[in-house]
Amino acid sequence: MAEVAVNNFTFSYAKSNFMVLNYVNVTFPANHFSLLTGPSGSGKSTLLMFIAGLYPSFTEGKSKGTITFDGKNITETQPQEKNKMVSMMFQNPNQQFAMDTVFNELVFVLENINADPAKMDQTVDNALNFVGISKLKNRKINTLSGGEKQRLALASIVAMDADVIVLDEPFASIDPASRVDLINKLKLLRDEHGKTIILADHDLSDYQNVIDDFFFLDPATHKINLQNQDQQKKFYANFEDAQHITTKVKLPEKTEKEILNIRDFTLDPHGDVLLKLANFSFYKGKTTLVTGHNGIGKSTLFDALTKLLKYEGTITYNGQDIKKIKPLKYAQSVTLLFQDAESQFLNITVKEELDLSMKNRFSAQYSDDEVKKMLAEIDLANRGERIVYSLSEGQKKKLQIIEMLVMAPPVLLMDEPFKGLDYHSLLVVGNLLNEAKTKFGQTQIIISHQLNGLENLVDYHTHFANQTMKYQEVL
Amino acid sequence: MNPGMKLFLVILIALEISFTENLVVNLILIAVSFIYIIFQKISFKAFLALIFVPLLPAVAMFVSQLMYGTAGIGFAWILFTRIYAYVFLGATFTLTSNITDLALALEQDFRLPSKFAYGVLATFNLVPKIRQQVKIIKTSALMRGEVLHVWSAKLYFKAILSSIQWSQNLAEAMTSHGFVEDAPRTHYKVIKITWQDWSLFIGSIVAVQLLLFFIRN
Repeated sequence: MAEVAVNNFTFSYAKSNFMVLNYVNVTFPANHFSLLTGPSGSGKSTLLMFIAGLYPSFTEGKSKGTITFDGKNITETQPQEKNKMVSMMFQNPNQQFAMDTVFNELVFVLENINADPAKMDQTVDNALNFVGISKLKNRKINTLSGGEKQRLALASIVAMDADVIVLDEPFASIDPASRVDLINKLKLLRDEHGKTIILADHDLSDYQNVIDDFFFLDPATHKINLQNQDQQKKFYANFEDAQHITTKVKLPEKTEKEILNIRDFTLDPHGDVLLKLANFSFYKGKTTLVTGHNGIGKSTLFDALTKLLKYEGTITYNGQDIKKIKPLKYAQSVTLLFQDAESQFLNITVKEELDLSMKNRFSAQYSDDEVKKMLAEIDLANRGERIVYSLSEGQKKKLQIIEMLVMAPPVLLMDEPFKGLDYHSLLVVGNLLNEAKTKFGQTQIIISHQLNGLENLVDYHTHFANQTMKYQEVL
Repeated sequence: MNPGMKLFLVILIALEISFTENLVVNLILIAVSFIYIIFQKISFKAFLALIFVPLLPAVAMFVSQLMYGTAGIGFAWILFTRIYAYVFLGATFTLTSNITDLALALEQDFRLPSKFAYGVLATFNLVPKIRQQVKIIKTSALMRGEVLHVWSAKLYFKAILSSIQWSQNLAEAMTSHGFVEDAPRTHYKVIKITWQDWSLFIGSIVAVQLLLFFIRN
């Protein structure tokens, strides 16, 4: 058991004086399950990385203040002693492992903490059993699903047996059932193994009756505050409300013209069936919103629609099987706005990026002046010489959206296009998308958790759940 | 045999035949490797690939020596068999060892820093992801109207950017799983160099020297 105290802690990125964490003072009590919430990008991960002792060595940012475990400063602790004090689980399930198989990874962990080789088999079996993946012991990690990988990550933490467990949005890529199950496992680790648990999540579902303390990282003050029962209730209520916005939308009419049709379709990239569709269509010149839980397979569906992933069944574009359309032609007709903006960039500077779009665009819908005006509206004017990789996340996203609007593909798929945008930018982008649709007849399919501010853009809403997708009458 | 030692043995012999011109020894090495491989459980497809894939470079070497070289047909055959000797020697190693055991052996028996052994291993395990990333980069470029070929600099630029990102994440992940550079670790699977390993190693080297000495073309 250990109490984690953060004292007068500040953090700012290299070459910036902006305080991401501004004299944070907070104590995570020993043997408690503490939830830390706050909007994405508010600095939760940064603080957790410091608590886990991974920062400052893995960051170039500047920090001041101390983090202590029962009075012991974590940055001054020897690495091997630190292993006994704290371990961390990350958000991305794909980059947490060094070895090839489940068993080898756990052995790697145990060797690192100098465990007795004679007891390793037992420890590995116990850890796998605890998280419920004994069957996966000899599987290659590359063949596991996102949820299974996160279970393995938790098994590694159980095997390490550190006092404090730090988790950064650990359930962002797993299905709701696994989420509930893993939260219960964490509860067990607290109740039966005396662990202190510090977990960051912006999704508040399933925590209400489990956690002991509720902390909020306020994006306005960059400080963390403990919330009392009444304040907590408000958070949970607001979160519930945000999940269900009740704006009416229409169901597609039978006469509606389909542009993408999906038939006898099965998507099972890791052996688990994510989606089965007998006959489903997206409609021409409309904006369709796709919603559904994290990790359910929405992005994977986009991967199939853009031929990045194999699928069973048939997908047609304007009546033609997409497998028979030439790659370049298809990529310019059905284009994806990647969730990660950097995936879209091919050049170095903002100007080069825009010039490329102007040169290769599908049709010349925007004049030079209009593009300039669009850039001004999202505060990217006069930044032509900036290196795209040095822009802030929000700026990258906005540049990415502009350059894809300039490309003017007939169908634009967008994976979380509003992530990291402030409300003003969101409205501007919404208007630009609306214009592309009404003026130029673009078909838009959007995956988004963010529903506020989209009421005027969205024509149809389809919900992804229970391995299928259905059109809904509410947003 | 200890995988690390086996690797050195194969490299040593391959180096040696690079600097000697002995057709019979090449043939003997191919034959011995061939028999060794047959006794390993390998798929028929892999076996066929082993025979036919080197054919093109081997024939190319042979023909170019014959047409443009001055050393005659004997030397052309030596070049031809040398390619096969390389491939078969290599196969005796790759078909019978896995990369994890090799990393463990290099760490435990050859004093390779554990950071390096596990770093290489982790990178190796990333290969399927790298392939997918290359596909994403190419598709993303198509969507911007650019066709990236294997020789496009942009493809490599983007791939290198991704790897820098990944290597950072990997280092963080290894550290969070308790890995400490240069710190002592226990070993679940102890890979030792046994006296059989030494005798096989020395025996093979000596045998090759004797063959090279006694068999003259």
